[in-house]
Amino acid sequence: MNAFAIALDSIWRHRLRSVLTALGVVIGVFAVVTLTSLGASVRSYVQGQFAHVGATIVTVSPANPGSGANKHPRFAGAPGGAPSTLTVADAQALAAAPHAHIQRVSAVADIPLTLGTSPAASSGVAVSGVQGPFFKIEQIPFLHGRFDGSGVVLGYGAAHTLFPHVANAMGRSVYVGTHAFRVVGILKKGSGIAALQSNREVFLPIGTGLKLAGLSTVAEIVVQANSTQNVNAAATAVTQVMTARHPSKNFSITKESQLLSTVTSTVSTITTFLAGLAAISLLVGGIGIMNIMLVTVTERFREIGIRKAMGARDGDILVQFVAESVLLALLGGAVGVGLSAIASSIVAHLAGFPGGLTVSAVVLALVFSILVGGVFGVLPAMRAARLMPVDALRTE
Amino acid sequence: MSQARTAAESSAPVISVSTLTKIYGQGEVKVTALDGVSVEIPRGQMVALMGPSGSGKSTLMQVLGLLDRPTSGSYRLNGQDLSRVSSRTMAELRGRRIAFVFQGIHLLPRLSALHNVELPMVYARVPAAERRQRATDALNRVGVGALVHRMPNQLSGGQAQRVAIARAVAPGPDLLLADEPTGALDRASGREVLGVFQSLNQSMGLTIVMVTHDPVVGRHAERIIEMEDGRFLRDYAVDDGERIWAHQEVSA
Ligand SMILES: Nc1ncnc2c1ncn2[C@@H]1O[C@H](COP(=O)(O)OP(=O)(O)OP(=O)(O)O)[C@@H](O)[C@H]1O
Ligand SMILES: [Mg+2]
Repeated sequence: MNAFAIALDSIWRHRLRSVLTALGVVIGVFAVVTLTSLGASVRSYVQGQFAHVGATIVTVSPANPGSGANKHPRFAGAPGGAPSTLTVADAQALAAAPHAHIQRVSAVADIPLTLGTSPAASSGVAVSGVQGPFFKIEQIPFLHGRFDGSGVVLGYGAAHTLFPHVANAMGRSVYVGTHAFRVVGILKKGSGIAALQSNREVFLPIGTGLKLAGLSTVAEIVVQANSTQNVNAAATAVTQVMTARHPSKNFSITKESQLLSTVTSTVSTITTFLAGLAAISLLVGGIGIMNIMLVTVTERFREIGIRKAMGARDGDILVQFVAESVLLALLGGAVGVGLSAIASSIVAHLAGFPGGLTVSAVVLALVFSILVGGVFGVLPAMRAARLMPVDALRTE
Repeated sequence: MSQARTAAESSAPVISVSTLTKIYGQGEVKVTALDGVSVEIPRGQMVALMGPSGSGKSTLMQVLGLLDRPTSGSYRLNGQDLSRVSSRTMAELRGRRIAFVFQGIHLLPRLSALHNVELPMVYARVPAAERRQRATDALNRVGVGALVHRMPNQLSGGQAQRVAIARAVAPGPDLLLADEPTGALDRASGREVLGVFQSLNQSMGLTIVMVTHDPVVGRHAERIIEMEDGRFLRDYAVDDGERIWAHQEVSA
């Protein structure tokens, strides 16, 4: 009968107690594995979303000269306080530049005017001024119509907000400030994070928008490179053209791929943090195991005494009890992994992204539970191993 | 298990202890359970240890059986000084060179008779096949060969004690210590168990020290040591004429 057979026997004999003891490890492993696996799923989901939209986009945004800020205004909110000096003319210059890598260019402006279905009403929907290539660059297809430079284009969500009871809002009127525009296009519902904003917006030809708002500068200029490989070359070309026009370098260039890495590293940080918190519960589970192992050792003084009287070395007893606590923790860990497989597939199903466990998380959690069982089993096992046979046999 | 011994070793007494003391507790509650005991036990001898309750018999047996350390004194096993050996070496002698039979029998309840008998040899790292063979032989020798697969709770007291004796002798020890081995048994099974000890002593030349309160049992031995207050009161040989062979009683 080897140490593991003895351990299994003992665990099985005290089934209920074993289950309760292992519960701490079950919960700890469950939390760690589920969180890290979900984190990995979210990360790869985000990556997938950006891969088909943003990978070729280079954004020019205003910046204080030399500040090197590379915030993305469309995600980071107001462009860091730097007053914009970017103009539609800059966008036209970029579009006209003889660089093969620059495929499409559009200026984008936030139009600070109310939007509604009547001159006075405000729907809360934001208005942006854009140029024709914008929709190709952002890869948002049209459901109806097109951007013809006369009327407005509604994002899918905006169309429903403005005309909740209308199946097709084409040809209807909306008011930007007090000025009426005809709806000439409606966008398809974009999927993914990048499309969240465009879904809710209304788009106006940028010249008209700027004139209405009394603005002369734009919020940013989006540029599409002709392929993913050429993004860096395109960014260089954009920098050249822009530096020629703005020698004070009061702009910054951002590649969407940078944004992607920012987002994914943020997700990773959050995941690691949460998994770290969850790991604390593993620690608590370990303490639970230690507690019960101390009880087990006390209960089994007689057995320990008999074994020692029969020639068991301290090491034999130590191995026997450490094996038991490791096995207990490992069983808990395995159950925790099983539960988290179920949980993460349910969550993934509900949230609509690919589920599944991260292999590294599973391996790490199991290794960790073996360690927990080992570390927290050693103290009780040492107590058992160091007993003098008579002292162990005396307690009946 | 049976190591080749040098001539010096085999001529040496199995056990030779001198001025053993054992003091339990400290200060006010100090109890001197052994008060300078010296004794030699030659190979092949069967000794009965007697004396009133609390005289230190169990304490002496535990020290001799390496189940406990004496407070002071020297201890030689086959001429080898064990006074300052590590606890690991003590563990490795326990159950292999010096075997113990308890009043409380102390079989492991979750193991079959056979596995109980194999246990000391498991810890001695005896290969499985040899282990099984020795265990089976020992169980046959003490007359419970038919009960190998019984669990301890399926054995009578006498049967269980015989399994415990098989467990003690299977590894081939130099010395068998038995602390009131019949104390928990009724008269009939007590006498049977006693017969087992005597046949082991006679047929195998096994050295045995046995604690008993029963003067009749004492006379089965060839030497009687009487203790009182942690000291030897008398230590004398039993006349051959006086000796009653239990196995003769049993077989009669
Ligand atoms: N663990 C202990 N702690 C303190 N005192 C002890 C301990 N074990 C034994 N003693 C004391 O040591 C003395 C000798 O005890 P021991 O058990 O050796 O006697 P014994 O001769 O075996 O008695 P019995 O015939 O009743 O078994 C007794 O006074 C006893 O109270
Ligand atoms: Mg006693």
